[in-house]
Amino acid sequence: MAGPEKTEHFVQQLATHQNRLHGYVFSLLGDHTRTADVLQETNIVLWRKIDEFELDKPFLPWAFAIARFQVLAHLRDQKRDRLLLDAELAEAVSAEAERQAGHLEELRHALRPCLATLTAGNRDLVERRYFRAMSIADIARDVDRTVSAVKVALLRSRRHLSECIQRRMLAEGEL
Amino acid sequence: MTPDKLEELESLLLDWEDGTLDEPGRKRLRDLIRSDDEARAHYVRLQMMNAVMSLDGEAGIPPTATAEAINGVTETVGNAGTQQVHVRSESSSVKPTRWMLTAAALLIGVLAGRLVQVELSSGIDKPDELGGSIITAEERDLTKEATSQGVALITQLVDVEWASDQRPLDVGDALLPGRFAIASGYAQVEFFCGATVILEGPAELDLQSPLLARVRRGRLRAQVPPAARGFSLEVDDMTVVDLGTEFGLSVTDDGANVQVFDGEVELRQPARKTRSLTAGRAVVRHKDGAFEEAVMAPGHFVDIESLESRVQNQQENRFQRWRAWSEEVRRDERLIAYYAFDRKDDRSRRLSNSLEPSNSELDGAIVGANRVSGRWPSKWGLEFKRPGDRVRVQIPGEYSSLTFCCWVKIDSLDRWYNSLFLTDNYNQGEPHWQILDTGQLYFSVRPTEQGDKGPRDHKALSPKFWKPSLSGRWLHLATVYNTAAQSVTHYLNGQVLSRETIPAVQVVTKTRIGTATLGNWSQPTQPDSSFAIRNLNGSMDEFILFAAALTDGEIRGIYDYGRP
Repeated sequence: MAGPEKTEHFVQQLATHQNRLHGYVFSLLGDHTRTADVLQETNIVLWRKIDEFELDKPFLPWAFAIARFQVLAHLRDQKRDRLLLDAELAEAVSAEAERQAGHLEELRHALRPCLATLTAGNRDLVERRYFRAMSIADIARDVDRTVSAVKVALLRSRRHLSECIQRRMLAEGEL
Repeated sequence: MTPDKLEELESLLLDWEDGTLDEPGRKRLRDLIRSDDEARAHYVRLQMMNAVMSLDGEAGIPPTATAEAINGVTETVGNAGTQQVHVRSESSSVKPTRWMLTAAALLIGVLAGRLVQVELSSGIDKPDELGGSIITAEERDLTKEATSQGVALITQLVDVEWASDQRPLDVGDALLPGRFAIASGYAQVEFFCGATVILEGPAELDLQSPLLARVRRGRLRAQVPPAARGFSLEVDDMTVVDLGTEFGLSVTDDGANVQVFDGEVELRQPARKTRSLTAGRAVVRHKDGAFEEAVMAPGHFVDIESLESRVQNQQENRFQRWRAWSEEVRRDERLIAYYAFDRKDDRSRRLSNSLEPSNSELDGAIVGANRVSGRWPSKWGLEFKRPGDRVRVQIPGEYSSLTFCCWVKIDSLDRWYNSLFLTDNYNQGEPHWQILDTGQLYFSVRPTEQGDKGPRDHKALSPKFWKPSLSGRWLHLATVYNTAAQSVTHYLNGQVLSRETIPAVQVVTKTRIGTATLGNWSQPTQPDSSFAIRNLNGSMDEFILFAAALTDGEIRGIYDYGRP
């Protein structure tokens, strides 16, 4: 059984890296519901394996390894027709996902000033689609534009955000 | 991976996220991701961004919140979390088993609510920084203030078609930091630092500050007076810094072409020597960063003078279009009164009505109000500036439904009641059309004789439409009083502001005007009455009154034809 000091440290580490694990799992699954499920399983497995966790070793690589295993198990269990990546492709993407998930908090902070450089209209579309998970059809109806016009605007905005974030992270030396 | 394949990947991923991607599409997306490292990196970048936005969305942090506000929120909650852990470790140091339970409870909390995770995580990174409380009113205001700042103004638009994702803007609108894109036509943008840029579409700018913009593509001419020295335009990793001059810049996929017409500019780029470019010289900078001398072609960059003549052309065209429309409307049998303000040489103190066939009985008497320029130079308007300024009219007859339309330029709404069109007194069946100081259109008709008991008048108020940035701009206001549908609809610039139903007892089916006033309210003369100041602080150009309820489409048409 783990001692109180170790448990405390473990819980702290788990909380600290929760978003990074979330980003990692999401980038391999591309689905919010599945990500919540797999992340929960990952947390439970990590908790069960607390004895393997060593205080002087970095938490994150260990946690990523377990998350990766959970993702692959999930992908193998599911019917292929509803998945984005298959297990093989997820394996191929995993290293890059780990690398980028490690910088997730930096990305999160770079995102803010970049959102501010979008036009108010485009920011509204991004908010509806990505912050509030509205479907494009619903957004198009609400803002009285065609589905394809909303798609074009979203694609441009996302391209703009992605470039802006990269520039900022490069400038901050975070990439 | 080629740019169009990257774009295809982005587009397919958007469909996947939206749940609308079929199996062949998913297979294609997998093939694209599989193709090389760059594709995988790009895919993961998009997914990370997606994950972050959905995490923030679930934590209730809007996209407009600043990084500072978020730090405040997350750090505070994070601190609370840390403290919790700390306190519990003290109390549980005696009984490790209890501590285990506590930790497990915390962990379950982590498992159960991602909100907690979001907040805990970035806080524990910096446990000793103190933040503010959870999004306070103060922080909201800060956010608001940040987004309401402009960096430039649009001062001319000629034949502009907007890019598909650009909200259409008007001359006089302030531009916020962010993208500004036109598909075609010309836009003149004046930066708050004093630099003027004439942009020729298709063009795409990314406004950064009053002194800086990024040019993604398009052709522009910048005029930078000495006061605005230091104004800079960025193209890729090159910065064009102006040293007080006039220059042209054309950005395409192949590179950037800079031409100096007057003065000097500096071309700065990272890790290279700054190049200076003086009047009469032009260079092309290729995508790879290499420079090449180029031929001057000032004619390719529209200057302020030729833009001005295009503006005049456009104004004349719009004026002629309005005039043709106006000639038509004068014959509309539903008209009660129409004042077009179009007789330019008319120096008398008479406001001719524009009905066809003409009826001079309906001419108005101008009291005080000065003639000023109207929506176009070829046309005039009336300014109601002093408390006594007004136009008196006498309109006989009885009607039912009514439609009021006018073009006004409001300087400010500094009276409690800002008059558009009011009958003298306020007797049974008489309409009053005005604007409240709150910025709401206000329409009412009195249902009973004065002194009689009965229902009160129904006060139809629009939502607040006025904001100070509308000051000095020509606005089209309209109100439809529909006695059959028992409704009042208010419009601003052809768009419905509000539509409300009137309780049946308050509907007045027999309306009348009699003596009335434009731009003010004239009470009957009473020796002891000191009347309130209710003149419209602004100008009017065109007033139309119909004895019918016009449709939304008709109001939209009046606005479209009359738009300056």
